[in-house]
Amino acid sequence: MGASQTRSGKYQDLADKTGFSLEQIQNLYKRFQQLSGNEETISKENLDSIPALANNPIRKQIVDAFFDKRNQHQGEVGSFEEIGFEQFLMVMSHFRPPTLKTTEEEKEALRKEKLRFLFNMHDTDNDGTITLEEYRKVVEELLSKSGAIGQEAAKAIADAAMLEVASTNVPHMAPDDFYEGITFEHFEQILKGLEMESRMNIRFLDVDTTTMRCGKTTS
Amino acid sequence: MTWFTFPADNLLCWWISISITVWFTLLFAFIIVPAILGVSLGIRRLYMRTLLKIFEWATSRMEMGAKEKNQQLYKPYSSGIIAKEPPSSLQQGIQQLRGSASCLRSEPEFEMADIFYFCRRGVESIVDDEVTKCFSAQELESWNLLTRSDYNFRHISLRLTVLWGLGLLIRYGVLLPLRVTLAVTGISLLLVLTTLVGFLPNRELRFFLSEKVHLLCYRICVRALTAIITYHHRENKPKNGGICVANHTTPIDVIILANDGCYSMVGQVHGGLMGMIQRAMVKSSPHIWFERSEVKDRHLVAKRLGDHVADKTKQPILIFPEGTCINNTSVMMFKKGSFEIGCTVYPVAIKYDPRFGDAFWNSSKFGMVNYLLRMMSSWAIVCSVWYLPPMNREEGEDAVQFANRVKAAIAAQGGLVDLIWDGGLKRAKVKDAFKEEQQKLYSKVLVGEHEQADDKHLEDENPEEDKSHRDSANGQ
Repeated sequence: MGASQTRSGKYQDLADKTGFSLEQIQNLYKRFQQLSGNEETISKENLDSIPALANNPIRKQIVDAFFDKRNQHQGEVGSFEEIGFEQFLMVMSHFRPPTLKTTEEEKEALRKEKLRFLFNMHDTDNDGTITLEEYRKVVEELLSKSGAIGQEAAKAIADAAMLEVASTNVPHMAPDDFYEGITFEHFEQILKGLEMESRMNIRFLDVDTTTMRCGKTTS
Repeated sequence: MTWFTFPADNLLCWWISISITVWFTLLFAFIIVPAILGVSLGIRRLYMRTLLKIFEWATSRMEMGAKEKNQQLYKPYSSGIIAKEPPSSLQQGIQQLRGSASCLRSEPEFEMADIFYFCRRGVESIVDDEVTKCFSAQELESWNLLTRSDYNFRHISLRLTVLWGLGLLIRYGVLLPLRVTLAVTGISLLLVLTTLVGFLPNRELRFFLSEKVHLLCYRICVRALTAIITYHHRENKPKNGGICVANHTTPIDVIILANDGCYSMVGQVHGGLMGMIQRAMVKSSPHIWFERSEVKDRHLVAKRLGDHVADKTKQPILIFPEGTCINNTSVMMFKKGSFEIGCTVYPVAIKYDPRFGDAFWNSSKFGMVNYLLRMMSSWAIVCSVWYLPPMNREEGEDAVQFANRVKAAIAAQGGLVDLIWDGGLKRAKVKDAFKEEQQKLYSKVLVGEHEQADDKHLEDENPEEDKSHRDSANGQ
């Protein structure tokens, strides 16, 4: 009994920090235990072994995002070797949808956070800009190396996208100017119209406590 | 001094020898004799009913106690951690995404926002996926005095804690030694009797006796585990010249099925005690044991299985097509090897009742000996076995489709979830081919809008949606 009380105290801290409800945190903790094999921390191998994730073309970027220190919002850079439950929750909180009680400023802030998350996913060397090389890498991961679109076409697509961003954000660029890369402001500008609130949200369920009675369960 | 201790010693010896004699007589009378005769005295069912009554009482006490203290008693039962959107194809998902953004170009090509779709799908799979759940033991909602779900064990009242302690004492002090004795008796009888039967010259007699011997030993083993088994639809029991397939939860599945009929087992040759048992069993009836090197050669395996079923006098083969132990909440992919042989398949569904003991063998967590000790110190192993009607491969159906059909029947009968994933994922990683598939799909989404001529074989899902999308794109 004592153990569960201190645990709920710690959960309250996490709830305040990340915005999840207590039930959601308990659920996510159960999932964390499953993924880590009942250890205290998760390593990249634990996440890599999820079969459904293996389907995803950008799985490497997604897994790296969990271990990226920038997503913890504490001003640090670099990456972790292993993460604990608190870090896991912090990354998950990027995907929380706004509730009815969220004010406009909070919604703006949430949106900015989500965009920042995606920006960090592209900007792997953390210099504040997504260079052509970095962008090309992401596009290559998304597209198949064989089949409908070859590697050359993937490069061309990345180049075209960069050019587009450049022309939208720096319209009066001289022919000899070199476009450094997409900064965060440019990134925001490009994706301004995108209705992200529903696209980058995952609805975390609260739980219904159903009681199952011993002896009367259907087996 | 010596004369003082001598009577005490004598008394002690006398007392010990009497109790051992009584113990063994009881054992013999109540367990071994019925096993030999194949008769059940009904003791185990009585035991099960008593246990259930005690559990109910304990649970109601806990509920009362929790209500007084206004606490949440039951572990929250959640059917999922996140609300998943209705499954849509990759194409639909991306189009939905783009529909909301202001397209910067007149022709939809690669969009920077496309990455949102994959990002969200990826994080969803991290939070909740079907496969990882299968390889951890099932969570129990009620309390069965084993405190397997330790969320529920608290000190509610002195009475319950005493009961729990008493339960612990009975399980480890009384039941465990009893069961170990029985298991040892059963296995040694198996070894001795099968070897003896193997010496008989007459083939008919050998078959007849070996059947009896096997059944006898399996019955003793079943009592050694206090397994209370209910067989349903025995008229569908597997016959000679067929293959019996079942879902796999634990190595004990073999004992549970072999208790009711004689099967030929298939497996790798082991060393040690298992190896001895295997060699003894083969002397009296035809089992199929493979050398480790042969297992890799699929044709050899298929040939041996085929030869066995072709001989109608031989017993049905018992195979677990999942290839590994699953935690009895779902059925995973069946390997197609056994379904290629082309004989009648007799599906069997096995479902364990988790209230009395968790039968799942998590081989990464427990070794074999540890697992058996856990099994023998649970209250009981209660399970239901359903014999399903025999199935044959139909015209135009290939082995994989046949396997899936059988799997669906077993899952439906046992109340288990039917999954497409391979049980081998317990240890291995998903092949990169899956990722390639997704990449190809996405590439097609980008390319398909331009090349209309090639559309027919690229987009097979939503031709209408494609057209309307193209029209709207042209209209821009």
